[in-house]
Amino acid sequence: MAILEVRNIEKHFGNTQVLSDISFSLEEGQALSIIGSSGSGKTTLLRCLNFLERPDHGSIAVKGGVIFDASDPSTQSEKDIRQKRLHFGLVFQNFNLFPQYTALQNVTLARELLARERGGENRDAIVKAGRELLAQMGLADRAYHYPHQLSGGQQQRVAIARALALQPDILCFDEPTSALDPELTGEVLRVIRSLAEQKTTMIIVTHEMAFARDVADQVIFMDGGVIVEQGDPREVIDHPREERTRQFLARYTEN
Amino acid sequence: MSVILGRLCEGFIINCQIFGLTLVFSIPLGLLVCFGSMSRFKPLSWLVKTFVWIIRGTPLMLQLLVIFLGPGLLGWGTPWPAGNSGRLMAAVVAFVINYACYFSEIFRGGIESVPRGQYEAGQVLGMTKPQIFFKVTLLQLVKRIVPPMGNEIITLVKDTSLARIISNKEIIMTANEYAAKGLIWPLFSTAIFFLVFVGVLTLLFGWFERKLDYFR
Repeated sequence: MAILEVRNIEKHFGNTQVLSDISFSLEEGQALSIIGSSGSGKTTLLRCLNFLERPDHGSIAVKGGVIFDASDPSTQSEKDIRQKRLHFGLVFQNFNLFPQYTALQNVTLARELLARERGGENRDAIVKAGRELLAQMGLADRAYHYPHQLSGGQQQRVAIARALALQPDILCFDEPTSALDPELTGEVLRVIRSLAEQKTTMIIVTHEMAFARDVADQVIFMDGGVIVEQGDPREVIDHPREERTRQFLARYTEN
Repeated sequence: MSVILGRLCEGFIINCQIFGLTLVFSIPLGLLVCFGSMSRFKPLSWLVKTFVWIIRGTPLMLQLLVIFLGPGLLGWGTPWPAGNSGRLMAAVVAFVINYACYFSEIFRGGIESVPRGQYEAGQVLGMTKPQIFFKVTLLQLVKRIVPPMGNEIITLVKDTSLARIISNKEIIMTANEYAAKGLIWPLFSTAIFFLVFVGVLTLLFGWFERKLDYFR
């Protein structure tokens, strides 16, 4: 059974339709890449999954349970949304680390707040888990650095550890390397690649075509708010069926 | 001379009282005004913004007179107790209202300067709105408003002497009484009181800014 089922999502901003009739599903342990030019609705789609935007139509189901249905107000209460967000983790394009906390505190803060609320895990266990995550990101020696003391690539890896700390079912990346200098993208992509090898369920919005093809089990190409083509990455990226996909990819290979 | 200095000190205590009480009350009131002006409920934000415009758009000296004398002149009977305590109370009320409006704009600027991504990062990490405010944005906001707040608070120190317009015997009024009798030096020496007070505040703000220097 699919871990994520997205059905007929639509989103308008005023009179502009940003997403229309978006449907796809994702199996547990798989990685999905979403490609497409700027303004195609990729980021809005991720923001809908994380409840930062509310779709006007459609439904989202995680592990078989409907967590959002635009036609059913009982799935939209503010209180529950907080809980439902925890199914998803989100890594932002520009990191959005909390500047007043160290790398380690950034990773542990939300989990500590949740533990305080629900009881359970003690602080030492959370800090230990946080250190392990940072070590996994290759940042064991940066635990006590503040974000401004870290390079962009390091900050983004802290942000990935921060999202992983809450053990989301699905980890979303919104153009995780777009804000980085070219020489720093490698270290972030390597981390994401190793997460894919560990069968982390992921949705990756990216402009890195080669990376999308290598890492993803499934690719979606979006244009003008609709899914133009989806399927196996080698099919979609190497042998696109749709003219719009071909044009988009041609622009990438020219560069 | 020591008698005169003693009188000046007594006067300056009035300035310090107005200063302290104004700070204590205008900061929380300023936060309320700030939330009001940022409210999504348009009539409220419109009302609050108009109020802020009136308070910032008229002289503080005039506001002191209106608050102290206004109710009596309108025939409502004066709400202020007789004597010095009533005058001090009226002065503090006028200062609190005036400074709350200025502070509210500084707070608004601070809140709006914290990037939207910080709220969103808190949200996707399952934090509640109060958690996001207290754990994520508050300190960033405080860091940003320390310099403008420092400016405004230093202005407040010197503005306290405006309270003499409703006969609060603060330091300038005391010194002026000597000047009227032909003794000028007490008036000029009041500068030293203000300079020392503001000097201490400046050091305090500098220390606080350095305290928050560990992040950007």
